[in-house]
Amino acid sequence: MSVFVIIYYTLLLGASCLAAYFNKRSAFLLIFSLTLVSFILGIVGGPGALRSVAIAAGLLALAAMVSYAFREFLIVIASTNMAKELRTAPLTAAFGMFVIFTYAIAGIFAPVIAPFGEAEIISSAFAPADETMLLGADQLGRDMFSRIIYGARNTVALALAGTVLAFLLGALAGLLAAVNGGWFDQLIARTSDVIMSIPSLIFALLMLSIFGGELANDTTSFWLLTGFMMVTGLLVVTAVFENNIIGWAIGLAALVGVSVAFAGFMLIIFNPSEIILVLVVAVIYSPRVFRLTRAVAGNVVVMDYIEAAKLRGEKTWYLIRREILPNSTAPLVAEFGLEFCFVFLLIAGLSFLGLGIQPPTADWGSMVRENATLVSFGEITPLIPAAAIALLTVAVNFVVDWMLYRSSGLKV
Amino acid sequence: MIKKKDVLLKIRDLKIQGYSDETWVDIIKGIDLTLHRGEVMGLIGESGAGKSTIGAACMGYARDGTRIVDSSIEFDGMELTTATEADRRMLRGSRIAYVAQSAAASFNPAHKIIDQHTEAPLQYRLKKRMEAQEDAMELYEKLRLPNPQEIGFRYPHQVSGGQLQRAMTAMAMSCRPDLIIFDEPTTALDVTTQIEVLSAIRDIVDEFNTAAIYITHDLAVVAQMADTIKVLLKGEEVEEASTREMLENPKEDYTKSLWAVRGFKSPQRHRPTDGTPPLISVKNVDASYTGGEKVLDDVSFDIYPGMTVAVVGESGSGKSTTARVITGLLPPSKGEVLFKGEPFPPDYRNRTKDQLRQCQMIYQMADTALNPKVRISEIIGRPAAFYSGLKGVALKNRIDELLDLIELEPAQYYNRYPAELSGGQKQRIGIARALAAEPTFIVCDEVTSALDQLVAEGILRLLDRLQNELNLAYMFITHDLATVRSIADEVVVMQHGKVVEQGPKDEMFTPPHHPYTDLLLSSVPEMDPDWLTTLLEERGVDNVGDAASAKIDPKDAKVT
Repeated sequence: MSVFVIIYYTLLLGASCLAAYFNKRSAFLLIFSLTLVSFILGIVGGPGALRSVAIAAGLLALAAMVSYAFREFLIVIASTNMAKELRTAPLTAAFGMFVIFTYAIAGIFAPVIAPFGEAEIISSAFAPADETMLLGADQLGRDMFSRIIYGARNTVALALAGTVLAFLLGALAGLLAAVNGGWFDQLIARTSDVIMSIPSLIFALLMLSIFGGELANDTTSFWLLTGFMMVTGLLVVTAVFENNIIGWAIGLAALVGVSVAFAGFMLIIFNPSEIILVLVVAVIYSPRVFRLTRAVAGNVVVMDYIEAAKLRGEKTWYLIRREILPNSTAPLVAEFGLEFCFVFLLIAGLSFLGLGIQPPTADWGSMVRENATLVSFGEITPLIPAAAIALLTVAVNFVVDWMLYRSSGLKV
Repeated sequence: MIKKKDVLLKIRDLKIQGYSDETWVDIIKGIDLTLHRGEVMGLIGESGAGKSTIGAACMGYARDGTRIVDSSIEFDGMELTTATEADRRMLRGSRIAYVAQSAAASFNPAHKIIDQHTEAPLQYRLKKRMEAQEDAMELYEKLRLPNPQEIGFRYPHQVSGGQLQRAMTAMAMSCRPDLIIFDEPTTALDVTTQIEVLSAIRDIVDEFNTAAIYITHDLAVVAQMADTIKVLLKGEEVEEASTREMLENPKEDYTKSLWAVRGFKSPQRHRPTDGTPPLISVKNVDASYTGGEKVLDDVSFDIYPGMTVAVVGESGSGKSTTARVITGLLPPSKGEVLFKGEPFPPDYRNRTKDQLRQCQMIYQMADTALNPKVRISEIIGRPAAFYSGLKGVALKNRIDELLDLIELEPAQYYNRYPAELSGGQKQRIGIARALAAEPTFIVCDEVTSALDQLVAEGILRLLDRLQNELNLAYMFITHDLATVRSIADEVVVMQHGKVVEQGPKDEMFTPPHHPYTDLLLSSVPEMDPDWLTTLLEERGVDNVGDAASAKIDPKDAKVT
């Protein structure tokens, strides 16, 4: 019996006795059942199994401590109102926020953090990890760690852009449909039904094969993006100006300007094929956002205060902005988090199939595919980008769970 | 006439705490209650007094977010606070039953009434299914439900509100419990239906010698039902006495103020004689909701400046629909609405800003009428900014002025959210929002029916004062005739979408009446504990509620 095993059992038994003594029922049950499981594990698997249990427990404890500290940190730096909200966050949500925070830092400061460029070949293919390369090299001899860091920037930025565009279109259409009803509602709802009836991955593949290749050039993507923004902006103009013809003229002019400027700006950040990808994602996901927004806003629209505002003669845009939106932000924010995960996974999936982000840009989805062969040699390298994807998805979901819980009004 | 019998329920020093803002707050602060077998006790008090919480505690039950702390609840010799949950469950439904305020919300819409009725006896193995079913029909008959053999096989939505409330009482009786808790069983019902339910409940409780706790905020109702009355205020007992004693000789100031609520009466105004046109004139209006039946049938009446016209009738009589026609939310299918002799566009979307400003609305449920995510300053300030274009300091002054007008301290309420106000305060904000538009005409849609009597009286006084100061005209929709008596100048009585009678208040309240008006008037409970008995003797038990209104002779001289 090694010293480790003795210490292991002493700690567990001591902790369970303490818990029992202080009447901490659930803690005692947890620790003591762990002790019992460890007896069996120790006999079957030997000290090695116990060691991995200890490491897992240590990691969990570490994550919990980090989350706790991070939450306290946020509470201290936040304003009074925010701090009150943050205090209700469970540890899982704090963990989620910490992970998102870490990813954001990695993405924003990628060139500073990453030791090498994302396309820089620095050693032989599949070189093992050493002092300069923390995670080894990929199939072309590029530094895995640097590519993971750059991947945070590329994949997450794309997913974020896609989700934001999907939300702009879907939420605006949903709000307008809820307020106006009638043929407008029917038209948009049926259109979204059509889009939703096509399986999303197949639809994405179809769209990408149409707009990929030849058409993925600066001009096409510029006009497509401008068009998308015009459609979205048209919804805003309808709501703001209603039947005012002069207003419409001014609104349309402003709209064209804004759309063109936005498309130009996007072209600076992303390359044409990425813009096509973002647009495809936005079109595929906006119907889901539309449905949710319409349902949420539909519950608000029937309230007496909306009737009072309508009788006052308020315009649609005021109704949406001041009366409906404040009452539906919580479910919408939660939906944003959820949709972000789906979009993120879709983009990673498309990249894995070779249709998403194009090489040599680092991207987690394609990194899994490129290094897939290593799995058969028992290496975990291809699992690292996959784990990065999984971790972010789980983290976002943790935060979203907390928000959903809050917006559902369950308070006990 | 306290019945000296065995003690059934003995509550000593009941304390219940609720969880809010991360601490436990006392809701009930030490109540003692003793109930004998066969005794009916009325619990009365304003909302938030803890009536329903005590009712639930009688079953040993604390709602989510509340807990019972070091109290003693003894039911027939069994201590409920220390009993196991399983033991307590054995009592509920079989020995203690509960009748909730809204029967419509308490029945499961997916099952037939009789299936829900027989659930408890079957669960406790008291009766076989067929026996339970026959017993149910017997109870339905005792509660004077129409077609007792058949009504149980309907679904809850196929039965009217008053009938459903009686079916619920029958269900509570299904195991012949020792104690029934009635939680405002008639609050949601019309006066004419209320009588049916009250007399049915009273008879059946008498017949089976069941003890009951009757929770309500309506004194007149509790006077008919209870042997003893306990008055509550903010979780504390004010006083307890037998019904007659309490009515004749209330001791505490608070009780006296409750008794005196119905004292407010505004002097009656009369139509101007100098030929001023009516402010609002509804002319031969028919209206229906999309594709449905006619809801309004040839409705006409006038509202003169500075006067209050009360529109009365049971629910479904078209009162609120009339308001929707006037405000333009529901364009009429025939007829028109005139404003100072000029036709008002039928759809509110076609009205000008000034036309919209003239006609404001105050809603029944202040909770849904105020946006919960907007501060008071903006709720009131928006109409002022929208119609009069006020900004900055001018706007702030106007808001302060409005808050002063509704008797709320501006500095204290300026930045609050609606959720931080009480029901009466919310209703005042609703009034301020209507006033902010500087209207000449306000539709008040059941503005006091969701409020307690004390608070409601405050609102009525406020409305009356504002009317005198600002020369406002009100259209006052209500089903409560006491409200009509206190504030109306003219009364319009509606039934089935038609105006059955209209005229100045003093004429309307002196006979001869239209038979329907008569029915409405005679159905309003009075503070006399013998009122229900006398009324039933006069009318006969089978001639109340729907039955009575169906019997109105169409050839009666006053029916025109």
